[in-house]
Amino acid sequence: MSDHLLDVEDLKVTFPARGKELRAVDGVTYTVHAGRTLAIVGESGSGKTVSCRAVVGLLPPSAVVTGSARFQGTQLIGLSDDRMREYRGADIAMVFQDPARSLNPTMRIGSQIAEAVRAHRHVTKPEAREQVIELLRLVRMPVPERRYFEYPHQLSGGMRQRVMIAIALACRPKLLIADEATTALDVTTQAQIMELLLDLQADLGMALMLISHDLGLAASYADEVIVMYAGRIVEQAPAMRLFTRVRMPYTQALFEAIPRLERPAHSPLPVIGGRPPDLAALPAGCSFAPRCRRAQDDCVAEAPPLAEHEPGHRWACWHPCESVEAP
Amino acid sequence: MSAPLPDLLAPGGPADTKPVPRARARPGWVRALRLWGPAGFLVLMLAACFIWPNIYPVPNPVRGSVLQAGLPPLSPGHIFGTDPVGNDVFSRILYGGQISFEVGFGVTAIGLVVGGLLGMAAGYWGGVTDAVISRLLDILIAFPALVLALAIAEGLGPSEVHVIWALSVFSIPAVGRIARAATLALREQTFMLAARLSGTRGWRVIVRHIVPNIAPQLMTFSLLGIGIAIILEGALSFLGLGIPLPEASWGSMIAQGQQTLSASPDLVLIPSAFLFATVLSLNLLGDALRERWGVR
Amino acid sequence: MTSGEPLLQVRELVQEFAVGDRGGIRGSRGGTVQAVTGVSFDVWPGETLGIVGETGSGKSTLARSILQAPRPKSGAVVFRGTDLVTLSGLRLLQARRHLQMVFQDPFGSLDPKWRVRDLVAEPLIAYRVGSRDGRRRRVDEVLELVGLDPAAHGGRRPRELSGGQAQRVAIARAVALSPALIICDEAVSSLDVLIQAQVLSLFERLRAELGLSYLFIAHDLALVKQVSDRVAVMYLGKLCEVGPGEVVYRQPLHPYTRALLDSIPSPDPAAARSRADGHGVRVARVISGEPPSPIHPPSGCRFRTRCPRAAELCAEQAPPMRELATGHSVACHFPLADVARTTARSEERIGETKR
Repeated sequence: MSDHLLDVEDLKVTFPARGKELRAVDGVTYTVHAGRTLAIVGESGSGKTVSCRAVVGLLPPSAVVTGSARFQGTQLIGLSDDRMREYRGADIAMVFQDPARSLNPTMRIGSQIAEAVRAHRHVTKPEAREQVIELLRLVRMPVPERRYFEYPHQLSGGMRQRVMIAIALACRPKLLIADEATTALDVTTQAQIMELLLDLQADLGMALMLISHDLGLAASYADEVIVMYAGRIVEQAPAMRLFTRVRMPYTQALFEAIPRLERPAHSPLPVIGGRPPDLAALPAGCSFAPRCRRAQDDCVAEAPPLAEHEPGHRWACWHPCESVEAP
Repeated sequence: MSAPLPDLLAPGGPADTKPVPRARARPGWVRALRLWGPAGFLVLMLAACFIWPNIYPVPNPVRGSVLQAGLPPLSPGHIFGTDPVGNDVFSRILYGGQISFEVGFGVTAIGLVVGGLLGMAAGYWGGVTDAVISRLLDILIAFPALVLALAIAEGLGPSEVHVIWALSVFSIPAVGRIARAATLALREQTFMLAARLSGTRGWRVIVRHIVPNIAPQLMTFSLLGIGIAIILEGALSFLGLGIPLPEASWGSMIAQGQQTLSASPDLVLIPSAFLFATVLSLNLLGDALRERWGVR
Repeated sequence: MTSGEPLLQVRELVQEFAVGDRGGIRGSRGGTVQAVTGVSFDVWPGETLGIVGETGSGKSTLARSILQAPRPKSGAVVFRGTDLVTLSGLRLLQARRHLQMVFQDPFGSLDPKWRVRDLVAEPLIAYRVGSRDGRRRRVDEVLELVGLDPAAHGGRRPRELSGGQAQRVAIARAVALSPALIICDEAVSSLDVLIQAQVLSLFERLRAELGLSYLFIAHDLALVKQVSDRVAVMYLGKLCEVGPGEVVYRQPLHPYTRALLDSIPSPDPAAARSRADGHGVRVARVISGEPPSPIHPPSGCRFRTRCPRAAELCAEQAPPMRELATGHSVACHFPLADVARTTARSEERIGETKR
């Protein structure tokens, strides 16, 4: 029995934009269990990043956030900046996509990690340094004593991301949110980093949230997968189940569109035309209906609710795919 | 890279969402006012200085009668009063404004055209062209301002045209360096490579790709430059190196008014106020345009 | 595959560039980046050759060097019988007319101040093709070909388009002059998966309708294999392996190719989990070590520092590209034996960093 670490309920985020309202996140509900891995998958504009940043309070002030996000019982939405900072970096940590932008180019990496350590704990400088070296070892940075003194530009992308992970782990968080953390990395480096994250999860008992556009990544590394489209969750299931019994046509379309090594060259790709909807003018019915092969009149008229139609497997569709193997 | 979503949210690559306008905290009419306020004022000033005297008779700015000397503002027939020689201040403001605007726009136009061309050529072709042009611009910038103006005034006699030449020596390298830097930055962009691969060459690339892209930067810079030129003209005239008396120039009016500062402070205050308001409007307009065009 | 002359012949292409002092509070000393070192391959008419390489492999530099932007340090680039390296000015322009490129960033490759119509017409104007009316018709024709509506989109500026639409405009521009070969440099990497599929499908359609050849460069091996007839794998400025896509996938000969294949997360959790290790969950065989610096590449074979099969010979001598099977070449002193892709693989971790 895993306990609920993070309970998000009916989270909504809107942005004002030139007189109109952009509904970036439109009522999202999910739970992260301690020690487990949840992947949130979606394309750009799906709301996956915005919803996570809303939980940790990292959105611009113009954002309007409603709903509930309880971390071990404490409501995070609406917390003051100061109180949020107590959680951020301590119990909840984030790793972002582009380490080049997240790291200070004029500071040695050792100092930056030490900064994270000292932000949440009262340790002396030498103690902090010890902890930093320990963290660098934890993230499998070769020759940590020397790397301590290097600058970000002297490191490769993979190593920079390890530094970001070290910063995130500085206070042994209970939840680590990896927001497209490996997207900018080469596939070989990505495999290294993902393996590291999983090992750390096992060793530290951390929960892991993977936010990505890469369905393959989700399949390989997550326990449970959420698929988002136009600000809403459209399907959620344990990874094994989702990929063998996909229901939501959008999820199926995502599967079919991924290039596969097994496919022969020039095999025709099943193509979905159109584009995601304008978040400032969402349709009344299902957001995916304009592009969906299976759409019918009721899809356009009314948005299907997200419901647990099968145990452990939720989807929001009036006409889901028949229970078929994912292609 | 175009960033459709607010910076915090874009994960780092354009994808297929419709570009979203940036969230603006300020209401639309405030933004419009910041643009059209100063613009409107400048248009008003230009109209007043250039059009009004031609359609509505004003007293001659240089042939006032001594009988009317030293009248205070709001005297009948002389809304701003008269100067110690009897000239109507209001009409001198208008004609002085003409000078100011002519000098300001003239200097800036020369700077834009000559400086812009030199800067773009230096930035685009690099190598020897860049070396030669950069040195030329450096020399121009190094010229001491007053010495040059003095020399021109002494050698060629003070006049409006000479003032424009003298001030152009500074506007050309100022614009030139900006144009060069902007061109250098632009040259590395992918679409420049794409344009060359499409077959466009040489000056055509500059005219059709570089000019439209650096124009906003140059234009906003030049607006500030107009203000600076006007002030410099004022300073030169103040020092007697610019527009000679009895012709009206805001600068020389201020210089003149100095002599009777305690008795008639308005003779200094009025031209100063106009100078201030005009330059401020130019700066505000430049800021508003810079914001609208997204120039950094 | 048609016989006759290859459309593009690249021979021993070398490209380097100097990296100055990188400045900053504590700058690092510069050097010469050996971006491309002796790359040779052919592209035949009607075929798609895919080049896959990770960051630092030099693939983008390779693409630009082929187009002489900038000119490679040495080597030959023979396109339709003419060596582009020996040409300049107008003659280069003429020779390059049927060779076009589509870039990674759809917005970056379009002048933000221009309208779609003008962007697509630019090559037509530069090469003085047709009259004004003729060009207008051609622009409309090409826009429709890529799935855009000339009336609706023709007057827009790039920032008024979505990523997929902008890339279509770039493709339309590339196709306007009826090229023979298009180089796609990560042309779909910035696009979302569904839009990516749309654009790939467009590439295939154009290939069929216009008889185009492609040089398709990307870092995603699955993507490259899907669109290509033959695949070339590049590492740190050199080609490791070249062969038909299916063959390279099923029987990779080069250890780096093997490592790439193993690192790709599979969308099939059953397959992923079959590669279980002690944790009882997923995890592919992971390559270790960091990519070496392109300024000081390892001596001999450049992959040897991360290769489990490296031996002394690998440090002494750079392996030449040898054809081990028909159309399948590899540059390795100890190429992999016939490795069939079964689910029961030995748990051989791809290695410690060797020195």
